Amino acid sequence: MGNAKQTIARRAGGELKDGQIINLGIGLPTLIADYVPEGVDVVIQTENGGIGVGPAPAPGCEDRDRANAGNQPITLVPGGSYFDSVMSFAMIRGGHVDSTFLGTLQVDEEGNIANWVVPGGLLAGMGGAMDLVTGAKIVHIVTEHCARDGSSKLMKKCTFPLTGAKEADVIITERALFRRFPETGWILDEVAVGYSLDDIADCTEMAYTVADGVRLDAYGGE
Amino acid sequence: MPKNKVVPIEEAMSHIKSGMSIAIGGFIGQGDPLTLIDHLKTMDVGDLTIYENDAGYRDRGQVELVNQGKVKKIVASHVGTTPDIAKAMNEGRLEVEATPQGTLAEMLRSGGAGLGGFLTPTGIGTVAEEGKQIIEVDGKPYILVPAVRCDIALVRAHRGDTWGNLIFRGTSRNFNVPAAMCADYVIAEVENLYTMGELDPEAIHTSGIFVDAVVRANVSYCTVREDPLETAVRSK
Repeated sequence: MGNAKQTIARRAGGELKDGQIINLGIGLPTLIADYVPEGVDVVIQTENGGIGVGPAPAPGCEDRDRANAGNQPITLVPGGSYFDSVMSFAMIRGGHVDSTFLGTLQVDEEGNIANWVVPGGLLAGMGGAMDLVTGAKIVHIVTEHCARDGSSKLMKKCTFPLTGAKEADVIITERALFRRFPETGWILDEVAVGYSLDDIADCTEMAYTVADGVRLDAYGGE
Repeated sequence: MPKNKVVPIEEAMSHIKSGMSIAIGGFIGQGDPLTLIDHLKTMDVGDLTIYENDAGYRDRGQVELVNQGKVKKIVASHVGTTPDIAKAMNEGRLEVEATPQGTLAEMLRSGGAGLGGFLTPTGIGTVAEEGKQIIEVDGKPYILVPAVRCDIALVRAHRGDTWGNLIFRGTSRNFNVPAAMCADYVIAEVENLYTMGELDPEAIHTSGIFVDAVVRANVSYCTVREDPLETAVRSK
């Protein structure tokens, strides 16, 4: 299977549409920037105050005043700009960001997302995630299918405190891709190569419908 | 002619008293007012409430004030970059109120803008709505978030003039802008200080109207240590 995170990031990159404004969460979602398909041009917003995030700077050219929300050094592409946090969240909450990609601890049947705190665990905080899932037009959840203990992260009902209620639109794991529509709930659209429909059923707790034209052996290595 | 607000750091910081609320700009090290925080570390004050995006980076920044026992409560969006904060919470030494980042920025901005609060869709259906009033507008629910006014604000800018007009650099603008708006006494540390008239009026990010005191930033914390525009001022 190779590296699950790279598999997820590569498939997520395939969701990008030319001209979109996107925001990538910290961790796995950041890898998606490496998998923007050829011919697709997206503009990356970072919620700490920048738009038009480009490649990482060359070693030795890092600048402490130019970093993303994960504190990694960034550059801006021509046309990019900087702004303050009020402006940044006006962009996010105001629906000006087309798509966000976020990792999660849990996601459920209703599209609820829980990704900011484990009850009894150490508090980190929600950062900008609650605003992003509320404001972005499309919310992509990019996550490994199962938690470390083997349980499904795609649950009947989230048990951890929510980041957003009914906000998830697409789930991309290393095993499958689901899309949610208000009238149908979650639809299984793609099954990654190496997995069967039964495999997905076995590791998925939330209810879903298999799409008529479900793609098997998807996520091809091409 | 606008007033010269450049004062010694001791004089500016003497406005901070125990029990006060302080808004602090910066984002995990980007634009953190470390000169002012370092000075606060030497002061005999406690019981502080701090509004900030985060508590700094690793062991540097506001987390140092927490480790000194000066802070009663922090209202922040993310404290995961400073492991000592979780430790202080677990040991009951610190109260942390987690607030969505956009909501926190708007709390400070609206406090500075004379508003009573604002309506946000962020956090509907989550713990963020607990204890808050929900108001429907055109059938859509919003959380009513009260604005925040602080006693003090500490911010850092790349360039500033003696009246307190500020220009930030890159992603260090972040919470420095709303923090500078929301407090009764606002202290700005500036990496490069100019006389009035030297900064382009079209390029000011924060007007000096919001700023009460200007102090020199410790340049060893600066990324760009020499601002070419400033050499003229220094040589005067």
